[in-house]
Amino acid sequence: MRNRVVITGAGVISSLGDSSSSLQLSLCSGRRAVKPVELFSTAGLGCPLGGEIPSFDAKKYLGRRNLRPLDRTSRLVASAAQMALDDSGWSESMRKQQEVGLVLGTMFCSVHTISEFDRRAVEVGPGYASPMDFSNTVINAAAGQTAILHNLRGINSTISTGITSGLQAIAYATEVIRSGRARAILAGGADEMCFESFYGFDRAGLLCRSDESAGDFPIPFDKRRNGFALGEGAALLMIEDAHSARERGARVLAEITGHGCAYDCSHGEDEESAVNAIALSVRRALNDAFTGPHEIDCLSASANGSYAGDRHEAKGIRTGLNGQTRKLPVTAIKSMLGETLGASGPMQTIAVLETMRDGVLPGINGLEQVEDDLAFDMISSDNSEIDLEEALINSVGFDGHCCSLVLAKVQ
Amino acid sequence: MKQRRVVVTGIGVVTPIGTGRERFWTNLLEGRSGIGPVRSFDTSAYSVHRGAEVHGFAVENYLSNLDAAHLGRASQFAIAAARLALADANVEIASLDLERAGVSMGTTSGEPREVERFDDLFIGKKLERVGPEFLGLYPSHVIAAHIARELRFAGINIMIPTACAAGNYAIAHAFDVLRAGRADLMLAGGSDSFSRITYTGFAQLGAIAPEVCQPFDRYRKGMIPGEGAGVIVLEPLSSAKHRGARIYAEIAGYGLSCDAHHMTAAHPNGEGAVRAMKQALEQSGTNPEEVSYISAHGTGTATNDRLETIAVKQLFAGSAYRIPMSSIKSMLGHTMGAASAIEAAACALAVYHDRIPPTINLKERDPECDLDYVPNCAREHEVRVAMNNAYAFGGNNASLILRKCESLN
Repeated sequence: MRNRVVITGAGVISSLGDSSSSLQLSLCSGRRAVKPVELFSTAGLGCPLGGEIPSFDAKKYLGRRNLRPLDRTSRLVASAAQMALDDSGWSESMRKQQEVGLVLGTMFCSVHTISEFDRRAVEVGPGYASPMDFSNTVINAAAGQTAILHNLRGINSTISTGITSGLQAIAYATEVIRSGRARAILAGGADEMCFESFYGFDRAGLLCRSDESAGDFPIPFDKRRNGFALGEGAALLMIEDAHSARERGARVLAEITGHGCAYDCSHGEDEESAVNAIALSVRRALNDAFTGPHEIDCLSASANGSYAGDRHEAKGIRTGLNGQTRKLPVTAIKSMLGETLGASGPMQTIAVLETMRDGVLPGINGLEQVEDDLAFDMISSDNSEIDLEEALINSVGFDGHCCSLVLAKVQ
Repeated sequence: MKQRRVVVTGIGVVTPIGTGRERFWTNLLEGRSGIGPVRSFDTSAYSVHRGAEVHGFAVENYLSNLDAAHLGRASQFAIAAARLALADANVEIASLDLERAGVSMGTTSGEPREVERFDDLFIGKKLERVGPEFLGLYPSHVIAAHIARELRFAGINIMIPTACAAGNYAIAHAFDVLRAGRADLMLAGGSDSFSRITYTGFAQLGAIAPEVCQPFDRYRKGMIPGEGAGVIVLEPLSSAKHRGARIYAEIAGYGLSCDAHHMTAAHPNGEGAVRAMKQALEQSGTNPEEVSYISAHGTGTATNDRLETIAVKQLFAGSAYRIPMSSIKSMLGHTMGAASAIEAAACALAVYHDRIPPTINLKERDPECDLDYVPNCAREHEVRVAMNNAYAFGGNNASLILRKCESLN
């Protein structure tokens, strides 16, 4: 016996819009957020591109609340949380009566905050480091700050599994609700664009390089792909026990019917091992949802333009779905948003909810020369119209983590 | 429906008072302190100079597949603790279905020394020396990933960085994973390395004691930052019985809550802590009177120890005075994300051996801290149910319940 779990609201701060509908509109009109980075200098780095949120101002979402103690990551999360609370109808007075939890997936929280705190202590002296900044150096800082701001007194947890952090956080929250431990949890993820993480990815050779034939942007599943672009943002979903959501008369966007995960011990270095882990994660999610490959109407892929990663994912999905991928519509929204790390899986989820609503699946921006032998026939730069009942959302890290989620339309 | 029961069958620890279950437990009962002058970095610019570091740690003894040069210190501790826990549980890796073997770990800072190196090079204008290794060494999720890569565990792999309560969170999650039948065996715990960043922060909060850690003492002066790792082997009771494993204790349940009050200060009447303890008791079907030992968060700061005492009295009322509650941080310092994992290991051992480790350095009673803190000497005491409390920045509270296994057989 397990409780059914539904999504009753969403909040998103992204480089392509600050609501589910504006994000969907951008994705479906092929807007691309990936541009030369302005938040910091990329001089001397191999990749000058990123998907920043231009002129992000948390005051727009949080009004006159005291935002001074919150760094960029926390502000992104607190803003998305406000929207998800509003969207799902969890008013302030309801939150006083009942516990709402928060499960946040993040790869770095803020390595920028950590690094600045440390550099000040080293350069000026430990006596000049700010105690307030110290409280933001913990990786659960954004979840803690957001809980304080919105009075979220239920389970408060932070999940770090690299790129899959956000989707894993949704899976974690789903389990907590299934087991009856909580009724309402905000779950999703966030990561900010900052020099320190950007530098790490650049030096690791994972970011896209300028290429005249391909253009300056990531193109998932394209033969010309040569890496991904980093992005940023926050995306949170209100996840509730289906019964209590119905009782309070909440609008239900979809049901989370299954999730699964696996780890590739070769951390992406061995193709067979990587493909097996992705396939295992997919199979686990389908089994958990009591569904099968033929029931899945579309795939939201993790593919971000990384050379080996996209191929591994395509093969892993094919194996996980028993080869039934030829007629499967596929989207990869990181072609437009960049790799938003902890926010990526939840952003994919929000985009899928929009497709469920309006029947339009965004095309893969820039895709012209599909990689050979992908076994995806329904993959294109054009949008497609689909009647979406059941979706598979996939998240794969560059270093071994795999997580999959199945969403179903609620009749 | 009958719930799967989950038991602790292996313990692995790397701590300032010793590595490995036996040495750790002996030193814990003898009340040995792992606190000394900080060696990890120069503290001359600080007003405090003591810490609880792990000395003489040789990671090579624990590595068969990975290269120590590609592992941060917290990952090294974590791998060692994981290997020790598996050996203690008498589990042969070859006998496992590796796709159903998982890792759930907690941490406060991940691999902060890697950021410190980055910062030193940044300040010295030598950032070009930071190469591709940084991304593989730094992000916190690599700790759980490194354990999996060393042991070839291909099941669920998750890092829960909920600061100083992270070990409890990670164990709680592993418990859920096993109960839901999503794995056959989980390694769960926490790891953190001694860090300039953490030390600076706590020094700036005025929270570090100059000499010793003396939780609940009237003249306590603060916490002492530490480092280490604790990992336990969790498996379903049925599998433990089937393979004839030694069972230290059963994980009976847990409670998690958030103060939503302040980033670094606990709620003034311990409201969140009470909710976490209460939930843990309810979810595990434990009556408050059944609790025979509380492993305190007990950092040694004026506020923590006072509030924790208030919270326990609020929940347990009059019976609070009858429950021994000790803080092993008096010996280990505060090992951050590892702390509640190491404390969970100590709880499992207390349940198994019916002995309670002491709170050392407790000389003068604080009128506001008037419970039985097991001062200075270990005690023989039947421990049927142990409660492990942990509190963290962000207002994250976690209480774990461990129970003697035969009591439910």
